[in-house]
Amino acid sequence: MNGMLLVAGREIRTQVRTKGFFVGLAVTVVLIVGITLAPKLFGGPDSYTIGLVNSQELAVHGGGDTEIEWRTFSDEATARRAVLDGDVDAAMIGGTAGIRVLSDGEIDSELGLMLQAAHREAQIQAAGVRTTPLSMESIGADTRYEETRSQMAFMLVLILFMLVVGTPMMVAMGVVEEKGSRIVEILFTSVRPWQLLGGKVLGLGVVGLINLVVVLAAGLGAAFASGLAVDFPPGMAGIVAGIVVWFVLGYAFFAAVAAALASLVSRQEEVGNVLTPMTMTMFASYGVAFFAAKEPTSLVATIASYVPPFSSMVMPVRATAAATPAWEILLSGALMVVAVAAMVLFAGRVYERAVLRTGARVRLREVVGSR
Amino acid sequence: MLQITDLRKTFGAAKRALDGVSFAVRQGEMFGFVGANGAGKTTTMRIVMGVLQTDEGEVRWKGSPLDFTERRRFGYMPEERGLYQKMKVAEQIGYFGRLHGLSPVGARKAADELIERLGLTERVGDAVEALSLGNQQRVQLAVALVHDPDVLVLDEPFSGLDPLAVDALAEVLQERARGGVPVIFSSHQLELVERLCDSVGIISAGQMVASGTVDELRSSVGRRLRVVVAEAKSGWADGLPGDLRVENGREVLIATDGDDQHILHAAVQAGRVEHFGVEQPTLTEIFRGAVA
Repeated sequence: MNGMLLVAGREIRTQVRTKGFFVGLAVTVVLIVGITLAPKLFGGPDSYTIGLVNSQELAVHGGGDTEIEWRTFSDEATARRAVLDGDVDAAMIGGTAGIRVLSDGEIDSELGLMLQAAHREAQIQAAGVRTTPLSMESIGADTRYEETRSQMAFMLVLILFMLVVGTPMMVAMGVVEEKGSRIVEILFTSVRPWQLLGGKVLGLGVVGLINLVVVLAAGLGAAFASGLAVDFPPGMAGIVAGIVVWFVLGYAFFAAVAAALASLVSRQEEVGNVLTPMTMTMFASYGVAFFAAKEPTSLVATIASYVPPFSSMVMPVRATAAATPAWEILLSGALMVVAVAAMVLFAGRVYERAVLRTGARVRLREVVGSR
Repeated sequence: MLQITDLRKTFGAAKRALDGVSFAVRQGEMFGFVGANGAGKTTTMRIVMGVLQTDEGEVRWKGSPLDFTERRRFGYMPEERGLYQKMKVAEQIGYFGRLHGLSPVGARKAADELIERLGLTERVGDAVEALSLGNQQRVQLAVALVHDPDVLVLDEPFSGLDPLAVDALAEVLQERARGGVPVIFSSHQLELVERLCDSVGIISAGQMVASGTVDELRSSVGRRLRVVVAEAKSGWADGLPGDLRVENGREVLIATDGDDQHILHAAVQAGRVEHFGVEQPTLTEIFRGAVA
């Protein structure tokens, strides 16, 4: 155990001290914060300023949290100037023929609709007709958080893909570094193969986890700072915790695969090639996860969220994109745990037998069947 | 005592690498392991270090079969050198010390001592990849020595070193041997083996063809008489045992058997005897004889 922790410690220290670690982390944080804030920056405004000349404020009911600020102008000329200068989004000019709404260019369609509806309402009420607003009620699933959920799911696909692909890649590079330089021969006189491999997977997993936690914190921080967090669905803490657990499972599985495959070759140039089956699987998982973010309740997403290793990416995305029963998540998790255990045993066998056989690429068949 | 008994190893279906290798190294003994390329030196050492499994035979240390815990107290320098290229010198040596079970403080102390002893003081903070080949070799040796091992197994430790580095390394190894550590090393530099080693093992095609102290090996070859006679008539040595060779334009008689007094008498009669003496065969000659 001690040997494994020493190996893990070295891996963490080696990675965390590189410039690449900080640069990569900084780039990811900027990216995530950028994406989080993007709807705020590029989406339509949720507050308007309306100028008033000879007219009343209207009881405007916008969608969501739209706010309207009213400013009264003394005459039409100043109101016109304010519109053209961009001080107000529109100006309502009262007159005998009715109310004209002035804007610089065509009026923002949402604003136009809101004003029109509010004005109609006001006229009807003024005529003495009592109106009651429609009361809307969903009798199906609660879809209030659908949009936020699907946005979060897309971000999650991005984050998980970067980390679940990137971190096992570091494991593969490390395995080949030790095999290619034959340092593994010296290491094996003081640590056992499972200690060396376990320590490497553990250490790099911690590095990956640091990345994940920092990125999640940055994303959540940005959401709270920008006010997006008010749209968070209930059970957000559980969703975030689930993401961390699923990352650990997915990483453990793919790290084991990466280590086994990488132990077959002796040169860094061969790593990409030998890892092809794994990267293909990852891309497939990525594709399905991407789809699941959009269509979380589809049959494909539901099935894929049970099948390891796809489930490690699809289930957290599905659970984020739509409310998913706990038993489904737990069942899928249990299947994934079994898959991880089986893969770790298998990979350990391959690694132990292949890692000392330097030179030409070792065939998987040669190390699996024999002895 | 480290006892290697009847090791046999076959790679694949056809390639027999070891075919009954046995020898023993006592405490404080420096054992030179020599043999042609591919004779089985590296395979033997890898089996001793547990990097390779033997098909048959065993390795015993202090009378009982060698296990992982005891092997952790061994120091090993493989034929293919391996270090973390991007790790700094002091850190690297210390890390291996920790892996071999030293405490953090103990590992740092041991690393510092070796760094000073091996003349790496100015390079402690450098990454290994920035070092010259000779200095990398020193770090490699430090990695093998950092935990003050009970046994040293070094595969070609002298290859690629300049003469001064060879002397420095030889001194370090002798010092460890004097401390009671059995030292096994392989080398193609036979003069060096002859100078340093208490005993020598010669391996050829997976079999030990000779082993013992250098003196024992010599006596097995037999002593050799070297006679140089100036201004002798050609054919003076006809009828005498041994070969007549020409060295630097002069005839030299090399005899490995026969009555030395009889040869001396014949030489005196043939001319002026410039040289008459018993000569020790060099390890190179013993090696050629044993492997042939």
